Order: sequence, then C-alpha cells, then structure tokens
Amino acid sequence: MKEIKSLIWKDIKLELRQQNTINTMVLFMVSTLFLCYISFMLRTNSLDSLTWNTLFWIILLFSAVNSAGNSFRKETSGRHLYYYQLAGPGAIIMAKIIFNFLLLLFLSLLGFGLYLALLGNHVSDYRIYLIALVLGSLGFSSSLTLLAGIASKTDNSSGVLAVLSLPILLPLINMLIKLSKNAMDGLAFSASYDEIMTIFGIDLIVIALSYLLFPYLWKS
Amino acid sequence: MKKYWWKFLGAALLLFSVIFGFLGETPRREILNETIRMVYFHVPMWFSMMALMVSSLVYSIRYLQKGKIRDDIYASQFAAVSIVFGILGFFTGMLWGNYTWGDWLPKDPKLIAVEVGMLIYSAYFILRGSFDDEQRRARLSAIYNIFAFASFMPLVWILPRLTDSLHPGNGGNPAFGSDMDVKMRMIFYPAVLGWILIGTWIASLRIRIKLINETINE
Amino acid sequence: MKLLSFLLNVEMADVMRSEGKIYVVVAGLVIIVAGFLAYLFLMDRKVTKLEKEVENLKK
Repeated sequence: MKEIKSLIWKDIKLELRQQNTINTMVLFMVSTLFLCYISFMLRTNSLDSLTWNTLFWIILLFSAVNSAGNSFRKETSGRHLYYYQLAGPGAIIMAKIIFNFLLLLFLSLLGFGLYLALLGNHVSDYRIYLIALVLGSLGFSSSLTLLAGIASKTDNSSGVLAVLSLPILLPLINMLIKLSKNAMDGLAFSASYDEIMTIFGIDLIVIALSYLLFPYLWKS
Repeated sequence: MKKYWWKFLGAALLLFSVIFGFLGETPRREILNETIRMVYFHVPMWFSMMALMVSSLVYSIRYLQKGKIRDDIYASQFAAVSIVFGILGFFTGMLWGNYTWGDWLPKDPKLIAVEVGMLIYSAYFILRGSFDDEQRRARLSAIYNIFAFASFMPLVWILPRLTDSLHPGNGGNPAFGSDMDVKMRMIFYPAVLGWILIGTWIASLRIRIKLINETINE
Repeated sequence: MKLLSFLLNVEMADVMRSEGKIYVVVAGLVIIVAGFLAYLFLMDRKVTKLEKEVENLKK
C-alpha cells in the first residue's frame, strides 16, 4: 500500500511541477466546450437535455482517452526498469489507475462546471449526476490505463489507443449517459439504482482485470 | 486436428439440420410463421461465434502462460473465424428481424452488444497489424483479447436482460423455450453442435496453413 | 391456449408442402451444403499433403 501511495504522490508532484498533462487536457476540454458554446448558441436555448448530456459525455470521453495516453508516454524506458525493481507491477498499475482517476475527476468536475456556465443548466438532481461523474472517471481511468499501456508499445500509440478503447468503453458510456439522464430528469434514486450497480460492477471487473494482466505487460 | 471423425460428425449434423430444418414440424406462431425455422440457422451462428471466441481466449491465456507462438496462432485464427460467424449471424438476424420486427436495424441492446463485439475483435486485428515483432504482437494481443473478452461478456449476457429488448428471453419477453417445442429442439441442438464443429474445422484449416507458413519461413 | 383457436388461422407453407415443392427447396439446399462440405474436405486433404511435404523437407 505504501508503494502505491508513494507512486501516486510522485506522479502528482511531477504533474504539479511540469503541468504537462493537466494543461493540455484542460486546454482541450475548454476549447471543445467553447466550440460547442459558439455553435449551439447561434440559436438561443436550442440544446435539449438529451443532446446536452450526450455531448458532455463525448467531450469527457475524448479528454479521457487523450489524458490516459499521456500517462505512459512520458515514462522513458530507463526509469521503467528502476520502478520495476522497486515496486511490483500490481502496485504500479493501481497507482496509475488512481492517479488517472484523480486527474479525470478533476477534469470532469471542471468540465461540468464550465458546461453548466456556458451551455445552460438542465440538471435537476446533482447528487446522482456527481455519482455518475465519479463512477465514470473511475471506469474510464481503469480501462484506459491498461489499454494505454498496451498501446504505448506500438508505433502509432495514440491512434491505436483510440481504436482499442472506444469499443470497450461504449457500454460504459451507454450506462453513464442513461444514469446522468436520469439525474437530469430528476428521477428518484431507486430508478437509477440498477444502473449504478452495473456501472460499479463494470468498474470493479475492469480494475481486477487490469491488476491481473498488467504484470504480463510489464515484462516486455 | 488431423483426425476426421469430428469433421464427419459436423458435416452430418449440418446436413441433418438443413434437411429436417425444412421438413420437420414446427409450432404455428403468429408473426413468425415459417420464419421460426431461422432458429436453426441464425442462432447456431451465435453459438459458434461464442465457442470460437472462448477457444481464442483459452489459447491467449495459454500463450501468456507458456510463451509458445503456436498458441498465439491458434488464438488469432479462432478470433478470425469467430468474426466471420458474427457477421453471418448479424446479417441473418437483420434479415429475420426485418420480416418479423419490421426493421432492419432496431435499437435492440443485444444487437448493439454484438456490433460493439465486432468492433472489439476488429480492433484486435488492427492491434496485431501494428507490430512486426512476433513475440510482442502475441503478448500484447493476448492481453487485449483477455481484457476485451471479459469486458464484452457482461455486455452480451447481462445488459440485454436488464433493459428492454426485442429478443426472446430478454427484457420482458418469455424465454425462447416457450416457442420451441421438443420437435424443434431435436433439430436445434444438433444444428448448434454441427455449426460449432464446422467452424472449428475451418479454424483448424487456417491454423494448419499458418503453421506450415511458419515452418517454411524458418 | 393459443393452439386451440389458431390451428387453422396461422399461415404456414402448407400449400408448398402439400404439392411436394418443399422437397425441391430441401434438395437445392442439400446440394449447396454438400458442395461446401466437399470443398472443405478437399482443402483438408491438400493441407495434409502440404504438411507431409514439409515434414519430408525437414529431414
């Protein structure tokens, strides 16, 4: 556990110092949001809640795919061997997943705030929407971290990452959109319960899988 | 793989299911009418696809455990043939669905699950294409295969049951058991087994050809 | 149950069956399937031959 904490802490400190990934991601998100703002505000109040919601999750998805790709890109192979000797692969993948999760959570909350400000507020039940954001960030980060690891070994890593991750993330996104739509319509908690449990289940399965499969990835 | 008995069995079962699929008696059902016989052809496509995907998965796991390229060849060829069956199942389903449900591509979760599945396995081959080194390709595609399969399975089995679905046995429709009587099952189960065996035969041929190429290249 | 009231009302291919035309359909399909299986079998034999050749070359 200590190894995981120190690995996460190392990544956070690196991030705060260089601000490499965060800046790129925030810029990406803000530019996309602004683009949507300009395009959709041509007709005032033209965004119905379904479009609003789906658009937000699409933006989040692409931001997530971009940011995950970065987490493996900045590691040079020399440092890799160093880490392998210090901490087991299991700890490394968990640390990366948690770090990506925090990053995505930050991004999604920021994005959500901006979205509300620029494109109007359609949300009735904030609690469930926030739960969706948290679960979504967790799900994205756990699948994407392993897939980014696989993709980083190829030549065209960002292209391959997109191709690999989109089909796998589709069911997750589907559930998340449904859940957040429920939150927007203000449905009672019981209606969303099934979705929440399913998403949480998917998250857990993916985390467990990543934990099991990463050691094989690490060897190469 | 060179033994013939199961190939003949598969061939016999297939012929049996084709002949009796049309001559045998079926229950009379509104909307479905004679198309209920599609069950002998459309559904075995899915079962074969699943069986081949599971085989592919097993060989991927074996590769990660032992590191023999042979296992990777098995895994990739099983995946390739499973995609073919998936496409066939998809098109037969579209055909059947158009005349019974009224739409070529309805928004049914099982259909969406299969479309995503096809995307996932196509991504598997794109991933394989981006490597030149044999061992690397084998290892990374094995990891992806296992990861994708485990993410795909809940999709195809659980999600359709939770949500509304046009397919029988999911989302509020009674399971297929109520429409298929004993006489149909007698043809259906052999058909499933027959198609799985034929699918495996095709995959085995592809594997053997690939293995020959491997030995020639050495 | 449905059976009692709908026995005669559901349209099926009885006409085709009663005139024996269904056998034409079956025969056609059997030819296609048998042809496909024969092709598979021939392929199998070719591959076995190749495998034997490669074995001989190895020695």
